[in-house]
Amino acid sequence: MDLSRREVLLGGGGLTAAVLLAACGADDSGGSTAGRPSGQPAKPRRGGILRVGALGRAGAITRDPHGTQANESDYLIISLVYDTLTVPGAKSNTVARLATKWEPSADLKTWRFTLAPGAKFHDGSPVTAEDVVYSLRRLRNTPAGASRLPGIRADDITADGTGTVVLVSADANAELPLLTRLTTFVVPKGTADAAIDKAPGTGPFKLDWFRGGNARLVRNDSWYGGEVHLDAIEVKIFESPQAMANALLSGQLDLASNVGALAARTAKGRPGIQTLRRPNDMAMPIAMRTADGPFADPRVREALRLAVDREAMVRQVLSGYGTVANDILGTGDPAYARDIPQRTRDLTKARQLLQQAGFDTARTYELYTTEDIAGLAESATLFATQVREAGVRIKVVKQESGTFWDKTWLNAHLYTTYWGTNDSVVFFAGKTMVSGSGQNETAWKDPAFDEAYRDAIGTADAAERTRLLRKLQEIQHQRSGYLLWGMADGIDLAKSTVRGLPTLPGYGRVRLEKTWLTG
Amino acid sequence: MADRLTAGSPPPPSPPATTPMRRRATALPVRVAGLLLRRALLMAALLGLVFATVELLPGDAATATSVRGESAADLARRRELLGLDRPVLERLWDWMTGLPTGDLGTSARGEPVAALLGGPLPNTLLLGGIALLLTTVLSVALGCWAASRPGGVLDRAVSGTATALLALPEFVIAVALVLVLSLWAGWLPAVTITGADGGLASWQMLILPVLALTIPQTGWNTRIVRAALADEARAPHVEAAVLDGLSPYRVLTRHLLPGALPAITAGLATSTGMLLGGAVVVETIFNHPGVGSVLAGAVGDRDSPVVAAIIALTGAVITGVLLLADLVRDVATGGDAVAGGGG
Repeated sequence: MDLSRREVLLGGGGLTAAVLLAACGADDSGGSTAGRPSGQPAKPRRGGILRVGALGRAGAITRDPHGTQANESDYLIISLVYDTLTVPGAKSNTVARLATKWEPSADLKTWRFTLAPGAKFHDGSPVTAEDVVYSLRRLRNTPAGASRLPGIRADDITADGTGTVVLVSADANAELPLLTRLTTFVVPKGTADAAIDKAPGTGPFKLDWFRGGNARLVRNDSWYGGEVHLDAIEVKIFESPQAMANALLSGQLDLASNVGALAARTAKGRPGIQTLRRPNDMAMPIAMRTADGPFADPRVREALRLAVDREAMVRQVLSGYGTVANDILGTGDPAYARDIPQRTRDLTKARQLLQQAGFDTARTYELYTTEDIAGLAESATLFATQVREAGVRIKVVKQESGTFWDKTWLNAHLYTTYWGTNDSVVFFAGKTMVSGSGQNETAWKDPAFDEAYRDAIGTADAAERTRLLRKLQEIQHQRSGYLLWGMADGIDLAKSTVRGLPTLPGYGRVRLEKTWLTG
Repeated sequence: MADRLTAGSPPPPSPPATTPMRRRATALPVRVAGLLLRRALLMAALLGLVFATVELLPGDAATATSVRGESAADLARRRELLGLDRPVLERLWDWMTGLPTGDLGTSARGEPVAALLGGPLPNTLLLGGIALLLTTVLSVALGCWAASRPGGVLDRAVSGTATALLALPEFVIAVALVLVLSLWAGWLPAVTITGADGGLASWQMLILPVLALTIPQTGWNTRIVRAALADEARAPHVEAAVLDGLSPYRVLTRHLLPGALPAITAGLATSTGMLLGGAVVVETIFNHPGVGSVLAGAVGDRDSPVVAAIIALTGAVITGVLLLADLVRDVATGGDAVAGGGG
C-alpha cells in the first residue's frame, strides 16, 4: 500500500463535531480501554515487553515528529515518545492529552489550551507553554503546515504564562481542537532540525534505541498521564503485511498493527491469536463529478447509489471485515446521523431515474482507480459489474499511483478515492465538500450545504450544532457527489495474552499506553 | 545484470587441459585492467539506461513522494529542490561525477544515498554470499555423486530433482519453507528481526532466506556440474586414467574436476546475479533488511539516484565475482578465458 498518500489524512487534521464547548476536559474515554472480550475486568498487570510489528518502507523512514510520516512504524514510535495536545477519543472525538482543557472566546476564534500540570520531558525538564509554541510553529512552518493547522498562522500561536497556549483562528471554528489531535507533537523549545532525532519527548515511553526503522522504547515512570503498564515496547518495521502476519503466527511478535483482512482470514481459528477489528477505519468512496459531465445530474448520482449492492461489496471487497455505509462521510463521528434511513439496492428505481435524466446507456463510462490500498481496485471492478444490472456500462481503468493523483484525482468524472480519518463529519465537509475547498473531489457546489457547514462550525451551542450537523448530513446523503458503499475495519492481530489494545480507527491504532500483558 | 562476462548454460566444452598451445600474448594484469575498463564503460551505459528508464515511467520523484493535497506550487518547488527540472543527462552527469568521490547522491526524500544503503547492502551481501557458498558446496557434491554412477538410479534421481528445483521460482520455495518449517513445525523463525546494532537478532533467521535462494540455484548448478563431468569423462586422458586402473576418487579429483572446473565456475558466477535478483523477492517475504526493499521502494518513488546506486554497487560485486571466475578459467585453460572469453 502506498503509505505516502495516507500521510495527508494525518496532515489534514480537520475539524469536527462533538467537541463540546465549555471546558472540554473530557477524560480519556477511548482508544485504550478494551480490545478484550468483556466480562473480566481484570486488573492490569505491570511488566513485560510488547513486540509490535508496523508497516513501513526502509526508504521512507523519518524521525521528525513534524515531518512527513509515510511509515506507520515511524508514526507509532513518534506517538509513543512524544505527546500531542489532544488525541482522538471514542465518546468525544477529541480528548485530553498534553492539554487538559481548552476554551474558546465568545466569537469562537481564540482558543486557550491549558497544559497538564507536572508534565515533564524525558530529561526531567518541565514542559512550558514556550515549548508548545515552538513546536506548533515548527509544525506550521513545514511544507504541509498550512493544511495541518488551517486558518492559523505561526504568529497566531502564542504563550500566556507558562501553562497556557493560545491559538487564534482567522475564522470562527467551533471544531478547532480537532486540529491539535494528530500532529502537534511537542519537543523542547529551540530543538535544532539536525538534533530532532535526539529531542526528548513527554510521552508514555522513552526512546532506548532506534535503528533502521526499528526501535526499543522503555516505560516513562513519571508520565503525567497515568500509570504505564508495559516495561518496554519493541517496534519492528515490516514492508509486507504477509511477513508481519507470519511473524505473529510464528511467535516473533505480540501485536501486528493494521495487518489487514487477508491476514485475519489466515489467522482464523488459530489458537492463542485474537483478531481485533477497529470499525470505521478506511473509507473508499466512489467520487462522481458534479460540476459537469455525465454525472452532473443529481438523478444519475442517485441512480448509481441505488444500483450498488452494498452488502456484496463489504462481503467481497472487504472479506466481510467492514460495515455497510450510507453515502455520508465521517461514519465514526459521535455526531454521525444514524437515523437517516439506510439506502438500499433498488434497480427499478435506478433505471427510472436514469431514464428521467436522459442518461445515455449506450455509452461506456470510465471508472479510474489505483492499487494504493488493498481492495480499492477490487471495489471498482465489483461496482462496475453491479451497476451493469441497472443498464450502466462502466469500464474500470487502473492507473499507476503517481498518474492517478497527479491527473485523475480532483478531475475525472468517475473515480475511486480513500480516506483514513473517519471520525469527523465536519472534517470531510470542510475539506472535500464546501464550495472552493482545496480537495473538493467531486467539484461540488451546493449553497444549502455551504450554509449548513458555516452555521455548524460557527455555533457554540452544542445541541444547536448537532441539529445543524444533521441537516448537513441529510444534504450530503441526498445529493453529494460521493457514493460511500461501506467502511473497512482496521484489523490488528495479537496474541491472546495482550490486553488493553486500541479500539479506535485510523491513527487511534497507536494508543498503546494502557496496553498490558497477562502473566 | 546485463553486464555478464561468461556465457550461461550450456557451458561450452572446454579445451582439454593438455592443449600444447600456451598463449600468453599480453601480461595478465594488463588484460585484467582492460577488462575492468570495458566493464566500467558497460556499467556507465547501463546506469544511463537506468536514469532514462526511470525518466520514462509515469510521474516523477516529486509526484511519487508527494502528499495528497500538495499544491502545484509546492510540487514545483520540490521539483526544483530535487533538481528534477534539469535535463536527465545533466542529472546523470552530476550523479556519475560524484561517484569517484564516493558520493552516491541524495534520495527523493532528502537522505544521502550512501547512508540509506549502508545498513541494507551488507545484509544483502551476507545473504547472497552464504547462499553462493552453500550452492557451490551442494552442487559440486551432488554433481559428483550423480556422476559417480552415470546412468544409474541415483544419477537420474539427482538430475531429475535438480531440473524440477531449478524450475521453481524463489518465492514459491520461500512461501513453502515458511509454511512448513516455521508456521507448522515451529522450528525456525519466520522473519528476520534486527537488534540495536542493526545486526540479526539470531543467526537462525538466516536459514530460511538462504535456503530459499540456494535451492533453485543448486538445482541449476548441479546440472552444470553433472554435464561438465560427463563431457570431461569422454576426454582421452580420462579414459586412459580409468584404463590404467586408477581409483574412481583419484580419477575424479585429479582428472575430471580440474578439467570441468572452468564450466563449473562459469555456472556459479552466473548464479551470483540470479542470487542477488532473487534476494529482492526473498527479502520481502522474510522481512530481511536488505537492499531489495529499498530498491522496490525507490522504483515506486521514481528515485533515480537510489536505483542507480543499488545497480552500480551490486553490479560491481557481480563484476568482481565474474572476474574471479574468469581468472580461475584462465589458470585452468592456460590463458584463453580473459583474452578471448570476454564480452
